[in-house]
Amino acid sequence: MPRQMNLALLLGNGVHVAGWRLPEAEYGPDSFDLMLRQTLIAEAAKFDMVFLADSLAAGKDAPPGILSRLEPLTLLTALAMRTTHIGLAATGSTTYSEPYNLARMFASLDHLSGGRAGWNIVTSSNREAAGNFSMAERPDAETRYEMAGEFVDICMGLWDSWEDGAFVKDKERGVPADLSKYHALDYVGRHHQVKGPLNMARPPQGHPVMIQAGSSATGMGFAGKYAEVVFTVQGDLEVTKAFGKKVRALAEAEGRDPSTLKILPGICPIIAENEQEARKMLARLASLADPVAAMQMLTQRMDMPELASMPLDSPIPELPPERMRGHAIAMTAVAKKYGFNLGQLRDYASASMGHRLIFGSPQQVADDLEEWFVSGAADGFILHPPFVPGPVEVFATEVVPILQKRGLFRRDYEGPTLRDHLGLARPTHPAAVTRTTA
Amino acid sequence: MTTPAKQMRLGLYLQANGLHVASWRMPGTYTDPENFRPYLAQTMAAEKAKFDMVFLADSPHCNPQGTLGLMVKTEPLTLLAALAVTTSHIGLAATVSTTYTEPYNIARILSSIDHLSGGRAAWNVVTGAQPGAAANFGRASHPPHDERYKIAEEYVEVIKGLWDSWEDDAFFVDREAGRFVDKNKMHRIDHKGTYFSVAGPLNCSRSPQGYPVLIQAGASEVGRAFAAAEAEVIFTVQQDHGLAKTFATEMREAVAKTGRNPAHFKIMPGVCPIVGSSEADAKAKLTELCSYADPAVALRVLSDRMGQDLTPFPLDAPVPELPPSGMMRGHAEALTNLARTRGMTLRELRDYASTSMGHRLLIGSPEQVADGLEEWFASGAADGFNIMPPWSPGALDDFVNEVVPILQKRGLFRTEYEGKTLRENLGIPRPPHPATLKAAAQ
Repeated sequence: MPRQMNLALLLGNGVHVAGWRLPEAEYGPDSFDLMLRQTLIAEAAKFDMVFLADSLAAGKDAPPGILSRLEPLTLLTALAMRTTHIGLAATGSTTYSEPYNLARMFASLDHLSGGRAGWNIVTSSNREAAGNFSMAERPDAETRYEMAGEFVDICMGLWDSWEDGAFVKDKERGVPADLSKYHALDYVGRHHQVKGPLNMARPPQGHPVMIQAGSSATGMGFAGKYAEVVFTVQGDLEVTKAFGKKVRALAEAEGRDPSTLKILPGICPIIAENEQEARKMLARLASLADPVAAMQMLTQRMDMPELASMPLDSPIPELPPERMRGHAIAMTAVAKKYGFNLGQLRDYASASMGHRLIFGSPQQVADDLEEWFVSGAADGFILHPPFVPGPVEVFATEVVPILQKRGLFRRDYEGPTLRDHLGLARPTHPAAVTRTTA
Repeated sequence: MTTPAKQMRLGLYLQANGLHVASWRMPGTYTDPENFRPYLAQTMAAEKAKFDMVFLADSPHCNPQGTLGLMVKTEPLTLLAALAVTTSHIGLAATVSTTYTEPYNIARILSSIDHLSGGRAAWNVVTGAQPGAAANFGRASHPPHDERYKIAEEYVEVIKGLWDSWEDDAFFVDREAGRFVDKNKMHRIDHKGTYFSVAGPLNCSRSPQGYPVLIQAGASEVGRAFAAAEAEVIFTVQQDHGLAKTFATEMREAVAKTGRNPAHFKIMPGVCPIVGSSEADAKAKLTELCSYADPAVALRVLSDRMGQDLTPFPLDAPVPELPPSGMMRGHAEALTNLARTRGMTLRELRDYASTSMGHRLLIGSPEQVADGLEEWFASGAADGFNIMPPWSPGALDDFVNEVVPILQKRGLFRTEYEGKTLRENLGIPRPPHPATLKAAAQ
């Protein structure tokens, strides 16, 4: 079968800071119904997954969808009850939660959804979060990633506490479990000590799908080691190609098959009858934006609070290399490419949360996606709708059929699990691997 | 002294396969605690019978030598979220430890479940968990008992503050003006205490119930003081009617002393019902159930309840005198009392505890079981009961099909839900936001 793209939907209230103000937009910061309807649209269009971003603080000037929202793991579990195939992925922080608790919740989501869980591993760069977790200061990036490595190793070890089929449940003999298939963890690291085992059977997918979204050097190294899906902020096709090559090389250096890594750049599509109409929509959106909220979006994305106090006509300052991460890299590149000053960059970022804006007719959007996909820059895309639910519906009913007709996207799900959709193998239990090779 | 409520409250202690250590071996019992099916089916049965709530006990650890139900669980908070959108009226309560979680995370999750369920969430506040849990959180042992309660007090203060981050009407939609929030109705907590510093605000609007219902189950002196100050429902282990009455009277007095209305405090002892067509039939069911138990596992369960390894003691001698337990004190005390008053041997206590985990066992015909509940309810020893089926779904089905209709006929239990939220059904008012209280006082 020819290679096909993978599609994810960022679930929420839309990424444009003022998108909710459009009369045709819906807004429900804690509305299960609004999230459910978007998920059902995505499932009908055979999307691989919906994804919930998250943050652990509510900034005073944040846009509505960030100020108040449902907690991702409980929301996804609720969505699991109303859907049958679509993958359910959420951000989970390795800095502000306990590995035993988070491993349980993701395993539980995987069980309750029949193998559709995905975990976007984040170290939480948000400066405000530390203040909500009894920490004087956010740990530095290096420490955060060191913690994250331990955290993920522990979670994988906990998911492997019991081999597949360990719970024999022999009623006759009164034997619940085959204890030869039980593996204590006894993990002792610098940041975490966890004895194990987990109080759960191995998840249907073995491990939930591991997702990563950091684009700093450390983040890419982390992705090379752990990630099966990489979400990335990219504006330029060639830069994205180089990014993919680098991450795959890092994965290969870790002894992994680089072709199993799925790279999904973010896109924000503004779709209309034609390009002119789409541009009008973009202008309409920009006219509604609150400049303070828009600026906060930019400063948080770039992790540069100092931008807020600079004049809007200033050029974007050069960052020292240690501060060049994810959105900071992408935004600096966009500013350079279009010659944007701070105010212009703010407007661009507020439209798409910094992700690549594609505007035009359904045909044009499909062409653009095809170009990126065929060139190898992307294995698929994560859709960031500017507002909801209109653009999600339009993408699903007008762009997806074109992609399907071109053979670029599935017409039906390959199987019941997220791993099936992504073409990722279920990880074999380490003990089973040892037994086969012995 | 307050008059007891007219009708009793019923909770279902929800376990995939029931309470008894060997329940999963009973024919027809669920054996798939990793699946949603056993939880959903039982919750739907309880909702059909108009139970106030289902309740999930929990401990974040796994004893590989334990019973099936202790080895394999579904994580309670995700499970409640799943039940929230598959049921419509029943309350959804989960146990969360204040020792092994972060208040900001738990505040969000519980608020989220309250939103998803339309106001049906409840939180059983526990300070510890089974002894094995500490090692899963980088600690050699639990913090000492009294310190755990100090942590819990501060935790609850923080979490309530977070739930009050936004006044009820802080969020709205004004597309014209581009406004969606009244920032005057945002309240940071800026808490800096002994154990936690949390700035807030929470990134979630105030939930339908204001606060999820607070449940507590501690029986130590510190635990009871904590319950009197904070809890709206108390789960308790009681075997003896007289002791249960004394406990209830003392608790209501303690609640009143903190300035709260004792009518808004529900005392719910655990009851493990075995219902048969006759008393003999019910007893035969118990005998069958006990025949499946592994004696070593049963003794381990009792040891956990008593906070002491009991394997060195002779099984056919009277239950030995033991030092006070640092864990599950209520269970240890109730079981010690029971053994003393009934002159039980260690073997007898082991079998009793392995069936009901130390809770009150009610065996008999549907009328007898209903009588046993009515007696305690009428005397004020209980406002309701936490029903703990020893095996499931069999023993639960017996209870809801045979006993509940009798209670309803006697006017002791509802035939329709009073409201949509758990607070409405329990008869516990929704807490107003402190800022509105202040405004009203001025």
